[in-house]
Amino acid sequence: MRQVSDTIDVAFTVNGETVHLSVSPDTSLVDALRDDLELTGTKQGCGEGECGACSVLLNGKVVNSCLVLAVECAGAEVLTIEGLGRMGKLHPLQDAFVQNGAVQCGFCTPGMVMAAYALLQENPSPSEADVRRALEGNLCRCTGYRKIIDAVMAAANGGPRHD
Amino acid sequence: MIKTAVDAGAGSITGRKTGKKTLIGGRIPKLDAPEKVAGLTRYLEDIKLPRMLYGKILFADRPHARIVGIDTAAAKAMHGVRAVLTTADIELVPFGFGGDNTALKTGKVTCIRDEVAAVAADTPEIAAAAILVIKVIYEDLPAVTSPEEALADGAPVIHKKTPDNVPFRFDYLHGDIEQGIRESDVIVEDTYTLQRAAHCCLGRAGIIARFEADGRLTLHSLTQVPFSYKHDLSRIVGVPPEKIRVLQPPIGGAFGSKLDIHPFEPICIFLARATGRPVQIVFTREEEFLATPTRQPMVIHLKSGARKDGTFTFRDVRMTLDNGGRTSWGATTPWISMRTFSSLYRVPHVRQHVDVVYTNNIYACAFRGYGNPQATFALESQIDQLADRLGMDPLEIRLKNAQEPGETTGQGMVLGTCGLAECLKTAARNAGWDVKHSPLRKTLVRDALVRDSNTLVRDSNLAPARVCGMGMASLFHVGGGAKIQRSDGCGTMLKIDDFGGVTVQTGASEIGQGSETVIAQIVAEELGLPVSNIRVLNSDSDFKPWDVGVHASRTTFIAGNSAQRAAREARGKLMEGAGRHLHRNPDELDLADGNVTDRATGEPLESIGKIVRSMHFGGKHEMIMTSHFYEPPSEMPDQDHKGNVSACYAFGTHVAEVEVDLDTGVVRVLGISAAHDVGRVINRMGIEGQIEGGIAQGIGYALYEEVKVQGGRVLNPTFTDYKLVTTREVPELKIEFIETHDPAGPHGAKGVAEAPLVPVAPAIANAIFNATGVRITELPMTPERVLAKLREARKTLVRETLVRETLVRDSNLAPGRGGDIHG
Amino acid sequence: MTKTYVAAQTVEEAVRALSQTGATIFAGGTDLMPRWFRNLVPKPTAVVDIKGVEQLRSIKLADGDVSVGACVLMSELETHSIIRAAAPILAEAAARIACPQIRNRATVGGNLCNASPAADAAVPLLLLDAVLDVASSGSKGLATREIPIAEFFRGPGSTALRPGEVLTCIRFKPLPTGSFCAWDKFGTRPAMEIAVASVGVVLHRVEGRVVGARVAYGSVAPIPLRGHQAESALIGRLLSDEVVDLCVTAARKEISPITDVRASEGYRREIVGVLLRRMLENAAGF
Repeated sequence: MRQVSDTIDVAFTVNGETVHLSVSPDTSLVDALRDDLELTGTKQGCGEGECGACSVLLNGKVVNSCLVLAVECAGAEVLTIEGLGRMGKLHPLQDAFVQNGAVQCGFCTPGMVMAAYALLQENPSPSEADVRRALEGNLCRCTGYRKIIDAVMAAANGGPRHD
Repeated sequence: MIKTAVDAGAGSITGRKTGKKTLIGGRIPKLDAPEKVAGLTRYLEDIKLPRMLYGKILFADRPHARIVGIDTAAAKAMHGVRAVLTTADIELVPFGFGGDNTALKTGKVTCIRDEVAAVAADTPEIAAAAILVIKVIYEDLPAVTSPEEALADGAPVIHKKTPDNVPFRFDYLHGDIEQGIRESDVIVEDTYTLQRAAHCCLGRAGIIARFEADGRLTLHSLTQVPFSYKHDLSRIVGVPPEKIRVLQPPIGGAFGSKLDIHPFEPICIFLARATGRPVQIVFTREEEFLATPTRQPMVIHLKSGARKDGTFTFRDVRMTLDNGGRTSWGATTPWISMRTFSSLYRVPHVRQHVDVVYTNNIYACAFRGYGNPQATFALESQIDQLADRLGMDPLEIRLKNAQEPGETTGQGMVLGTCGLAECLKTAARNAGWDVKHSPLRKTLVRDALVRDSNTLVRDSNLAPARVCGMGMASLFHVGGGAKIQRSDGCGTMLKIDDFGGVTVQTGASEIGQGSETVIAQIVAEELGLPVSNIRVLNSDSDFKPWDVGVHASRTTFIAGNSAQRAAREARGKLMEGAGRHLHRNPDELDLADGNVTDRATGEPLESIGKIVRSMHFGGKHEMIMTSHFYEPPSEMPDQDHKGNVSACYAFGTHVAEVEVDLDTGVVRVLGISAAHDVGRVINRMGIEGQIEGGIAQGIGYALYEEVKVQGGRVLNPTFTDYKLVTTREVPELKIEFIETHDPAGPHGAKGVAEAPLVPVAPAIANAIFNATGVRITELPMTPERVLAKLREARKTLVRETLVRETLVRDSNLAPGRGGDIHG
Repeated sequence: MTKTYVAAQTVEEAVRALSQTGATIFAGGTDLMPRWFRNLVPKPTAVVDIKGVEQLRSIKLADGDVSVGACVLMSELETHSIIRAAAPILAEAAARIACPQIRNRATVGGNLCNASPAADAAVPLLLLDAVLDVASSGSKGLATREIPIAEFFRGPGSTALRPGEVLTCIRFKPLPTGSFCAWDKFGTRPAMEIAVASVGVVLHRVEGRVVGARVAYGSVAPIPLRGHQAESALIGRLLSDEVVDLCVTAARKEISPITDVRASEGYRREIVGVLLRRMLENAAGF
């Protein structure tokens, strides 16, 4: 049994790198990522698990990082948008978002990409209905989702574009 | 699915007439998309400045009350609190469209979101905790929570200078209503009720303010109107406008919400001044719902007439806006609703009266469409009601009255190009209107809603659980800016560097819609360069030239024209330099793929970079730097609201197919077919995205979205209970562009940004009518509301003793048990 | 301000940590964290995370009983072969909770202990007549007791758990083969929906005649509710139109919905009837 007070030292893996943090027990993962690790690609849209902008993978499962305590992540593996690909070497899924016009203001994009990535990890050949269902927890106000769905289908089909 | 013949890689297509490759109409990925998908874009909330403090505002949380006293001692004593401000600490300068707002409120509060005090602290947590210990003593006043209450005799006065609670009235007239009534064979009259809807930008509202050592003020702001923002803020915070620098970080959605100055902005500046440190305010989602304005709630009473042949005769409109406790630019939305009533179709007599009424509710501001979604809902619903009375097909009656190119409307708007008839026909054709819009269906369904007159249960032998229907609606909107101030222009400064890279400084602001990509595309097209060579700078008021702001669907048209003209001038200089360098007549040269080419053969002669260097290092030793300020050929409306306010006008038609569950009232949108007169497509990928996004917002407005306010308080300030459309609800979309090539537009393009939201709700309402015979006149069309209307309609029918058997026997549409009616 | 975080590895550790003042059990966090965030409830001084307790994470079928650990995730319920076979209505309800991000965090125990009238797992578990095992710190080590699910909910946010008790396991018998079961919820939008009303039905029939019936409702009373009146209307009868009408009438009478921001009382009554009628008509067709 682990028991600590006020701040707790916690170590976990983020995008393949081990990080050591000292956080308050009520610090959310999204705050730890954004404030302590300066990984601001993960967005906070609502703070209550309703918009999906803060989606990350925790031990391979997509979660809202606003609903995870940083202290819970001890020993865990966290994957954020910054770990998926980088400029000049985007992940094919990220590239599909670019090539299919799935990005407008872009605020929902990192969470959307992470949720789609989690889907494709579990189900590499999803139907359109699968994609819609996998992304139902990710709100977008700009695109109307059509091109986001197209992008995920394109990535699943191995091509950059979905026509 | 939208099909296109465009080459995927280059995003360019080959022009049919010239055989020359063109970028116009291609699918160009947004320039900022790679950075955004990589998670590297720094939005406002991602910016941290050294020693930055966090601001937090105390809102009144009561609709109408006198402020008796404020005690901030406990907050000031808290560790980590650096400033606590009340009205005692700042100079109060009235602002806002009605001049009835101040940064913090003194005397009394007039809505729950009124700002009473503010704190700056070392962390957001400390700031939030400090707000909770500020004690305000209020004396509650009777709250006015609806326009009816506000207009009643003896109603409490909300603002002293407006004793009748009506700060604004708008009147419009063309023709003669009495004559219109005399000319009518049928007259329809109804009342339409429109709700508060929230912008729900995924990025929350916020600002960072910092004072420089020399007294200059730098703002990281989400404003859509940086230059008027400087001007207006200057008065409020007492900093000369030339000493204010507005930086515009990438923005998580705007949709009109950042058109006004909001009190949190001067508050943040006052906090920065009080502490001498940078201060950031970012709203929580709950604050976003409570303390950022919404779309205008309106009640529209509309009466209109037609001759037997369907020709429209008149329209008489009375509108009441619930203005809330303060006034924003949103109070002027009647300017836009007016245009739809007067000019979407040909109608000789139109009158409109609008009362903008103070209440103690939260207030509204600009939101995509700016009063047009409300007006279009009323108008396009009523057109179907007229068609129903006349026994006409909704498509036919619209085509009969559709505006045509060359027309000057009753409101003085000159329609150079107008693709409305084409939009109507195209959207209907793509939707399968002839087959799926059946006038028979509604009577059958309506009639079969109950087993007998006592039990309100659908008779499953007579009607299936779910029925389908189809409806349409069109729209009219400005497409070439809107001259509501003396200038509706935009400046561009353009430089071609020694290596063929181009920097375009545009006055236009990017809010996610893709304007910088369109501008880059227009410049690249002019200069024969790949889009990737163009860098658009648009986020710093110290650098960028003047622009009105990003609103009124104006950026592609106005900023596009401006950029095109600056690029054209640069092209001229480049060709001149190339002529000198190559010893050729510039008329024999062209630009393509980064090279100066032989116009006749297309053969590349020299790279553009080399030509620029030849001009720089030799010859006249010059650089290619051009600028252009584009002012559209439009006019400010006169005091009767008449005049050619825009350089061109956008039209469109949407056809919605819906399925209605007769037992639950659930409406499902099966598909939307949209046709838009966009002048010309510049970036096909971008414009599709605009249309698709607008449709999704329109479906939300029609079916799900409402900020529910009761007793002045917001009941649903979360995404849990404020329902946005998700991936699950977006239907099949068929989108077609009608290219009317407006001579005023860049490459013939018109603005389209707001348009696609506008006709969605009435198209759905008309489809519900087609499916069930029930007319819904209130948004959102929730299951509960639809079911209540279905029941009401049945009761009416029972009273009218309709002979059910006859109708069912006569119809060959009688469905089987549990099946669906499809046309 | 939360000062302490305890990652319990055993039930004993969990109940011991829970005995500290101001301590709260923390499982998926999907209900708790938004409420902390919006200051709707004060943050506890100590958080006792029980997700690391191995025995709370398993789904087992033993001696004819299905047992589901309190920390089993909704995404596990949704896909687990034992649940899909023994209690498809529970798998269906789990699959319709919120979105993948939430289903990957929300636990079945949390869904029950949160005691929302809209708790999606509650209605299927009421239909399954589940028994809840709870543990607390006793004089001789761990004290345990059983609570039948019908006695578990006391009101919105309130359960039969006593201070210091932890829900550990949910047990039920698989639905017998050949029985008819259905569960559905109704919201105003297909995605991410919080039930305006939910209904579930389990029927056992012999030659068409109903010999056993269970009906339960969600979001239409202060607690998730068994529909004893509706059940009585069915028992011993064939599913005729008339019997369906009677059952629906009984259901609408025995619920006590409220009007709130999501729906009116009248509409909730309406919807319960529609959902129930559709299920029974569907059952009649089998």
